[in-house]
Amino acid sequence: MHNPYRPIPVEITKIVTEVDTNDIKTFRLSFVNKEDEKNFKYIPGQFAELSIFGKGESPIGIASSPTQPGYIEFTVQKAGVLTSALHDLEEGTQIGIRGPLGNSWPIDYLEGKNIVIVGGGFAFTTLRSLVNYMLYEDNRSRFGNITVVYGARTPGLLIYKNELAAWEERDDIDMYVTVDKGDETWAGREGFVPTVCKEVGPSSENAVTVICGPPIMIRFTLPVFFDLGFSKENIITSLEMKMKCGIGKCGRCNVGEKYICKDGPVFSLAELDKLTPEY
Amino acid sequence: MLKKIGLEKLNEFVSALIEKGTLFAPVKGDAGVDFQEIKNAGDVTLDFYNTLQSPKCVFFPQTDDMVRYRLKKETTDIEEISLDFEPRIAFGIRPCDVKSFEIMDKLFTRGGIVDPYWESRRKNTTIMGYAFDAVDPADFYGAFGIHAADTTGSDVFMVKGEKNLLLKAITEKGEKLLSSVDTLEDALEEDRKYFEERLKKGAELETRTLSLEGVAGKLRDMFGSPYWEKVAAPCLNCGVCTFVCPTCHCFDIQDETLFGEGTRRKIWDSCMFTDFTLEASGHNPRTQKSQRLRQRVNHKFSYYVTNFEVTSCVGCGRCTRSCPVNIDILTVVEEAVESV
Repeated sequence: MHNPYRPIPVEITKIVTEVDTNDIKTFRLSFVNKEDEKNFKYIPGQFAELSIFGKGESPIGIASSPTQPGYIEFTVQKAGVLTSALHDLEEGTQIGIRGPLGNSWPIDYLEGKNIVIVGGGFAFTTLRSLVNYMLYEDNRSRFGNITVVYGARTPGLLIYKNELAAWEERDDIDMYVTVDKGDETWAGREGFVPTVCKEVGPSSENAVTVICGPPIMIRFTLPVFFDLGFSKENIITSLEMKMKCGIGKCGRCNVGEKYICKDGPVFSLAELDKLTPEY
Repeated sequence: MLKKIGLEKLNEFVSALIEKGTLFAPVKGDAGVDFQEIKNAGDVTLDFYNTLQSPKCVFFPQTDDMVRYRLKKETTDIEEISLDFEPRIAFGIRPCDVKSFEIMDKLFTRGGIVDPYWESRRKNTTIMGYAFDAVDPADFYGAFGIHAADTTGSDVFMVKGEKNLLLKAITEKGEKLLSSVDTLEDALEEDRKYFEERLKKGAELETRTLSLEGVAGKLRDMFGSPYWEKVAAPCLNCGVCTFVCPTCHCFDIQDETLFGEGTRRKIWDSCMFTDFTLEASGHNPRTQKSQRLRQRVNHKFSYYVTNFEVTSCVGCGRCTRSCPVNIDILTVVEEAVESV
């Protein structure tokens, strides 16, 4: 019988420290058994449980795109027991992974539409997966205009800096990277994400916005998109909750009858409105 | 097939069952009767109303080892615990508890994602149901259409008479078990009559009851009601209600390491505890006990109904009997629904 609790062995092949506070790192993982790699078919927006025996497991969004074969990536903030242990590991170490878990960004629904990606701080991981997926040469024509508004508190807290720069160079994606407060080296935009969204003012015509960020950012960004005429069906986000099993059994990540691990983590605002007002 | 055995020969019969598989049966302990794995036939008792804890431990033990590991300097040795569970027999399960297994099946096999620890044991277990002969005032299994001598879900159903234990095979599995035990005698016509009478009498025994109509929706409607604060005020957050419950299934996954060796296991958890939903960031969506009590009641009487079309409660009365501050889930639901 298939055991969904069994972690698949993976090796850490690359670690990138993303921010100047050193507490957010991207881990590139390669499957120890090629067979496992073939079976690990994921879609942007899904997550997986990272496992270190003796420390436990942690649900983390997949930051790489399935269009990047040979590895998967996770960007992890040092916070609890598992993530702290993970941050202490070196390249070459073997860990475990369970997944892919959860639903995903609604790729089929996004097809043929203009996409506005809005991210804040560290909550840009599965959005990065989605951007890379859409920019992949075989996929790019399936989507309309792609606009990215991404902000962090300081320049040092922006993640995926090299990739952001590479996207800036392209002419098939409109990039608006901003920081709350720049420093002496920062030549880019300053301003909060909601303000920048307002300035950019993307059309809601045949458009969907995908938003991930801290609650405060989401709270002030939503009205901007309502004003632009985006319907609740066309505002999509991803939720977080304490999880253990990741497969809808252990009973803790529910909002009403929905389990974030299994029915989510991705919901449209219209779907969120129907949930029990628990949070 | 109806068989019987004299009560004085119960030990002989239990010994025979031990030969057939790992036997879980009621055993009298200091605090009361509970299901245990039986090594000595003499430990088994048939003299109890119902066990303190539910028999869910047969399929879903309080701690369920999944992987043993040894941490070495560079690598970790891993030994997975086999899922090839030996045949099991669950002996003396009350009808309401038998029903709880079917309710839990829905969760543990939902959407094709099967929990192999539950499912492997479940498939391998012969259930020997056991008729109640009285009703405890806390019970309300009648509300769920279950009666005191309900044979539904049992492989073998047992009725205790004055001198004999009568055993009827309900399923093929049950028939196979009964026909393989030669300590049993064939029942006589008078035994057959007594057995049928007890089933009939069981159906007539009345428990407390509750109308389930519209409960799921009404609980949803009064989610934000101050009622929850009132009803949860005496709650001590001890979690005993979830531990004795046959349908509470929430669990944690934990690694326990000692001197470099350890086990990853599933462990019963409880929505009554604050750290159940505590995130690494420090955020906790259910910090108030009213939120947690509401979660427990709604999970059973609303969310589960929406997801599986069945209430996740069998009215066994254990949470009511165990609660140190007399919170009674039937009353809680009744009053909640009335308050809408």
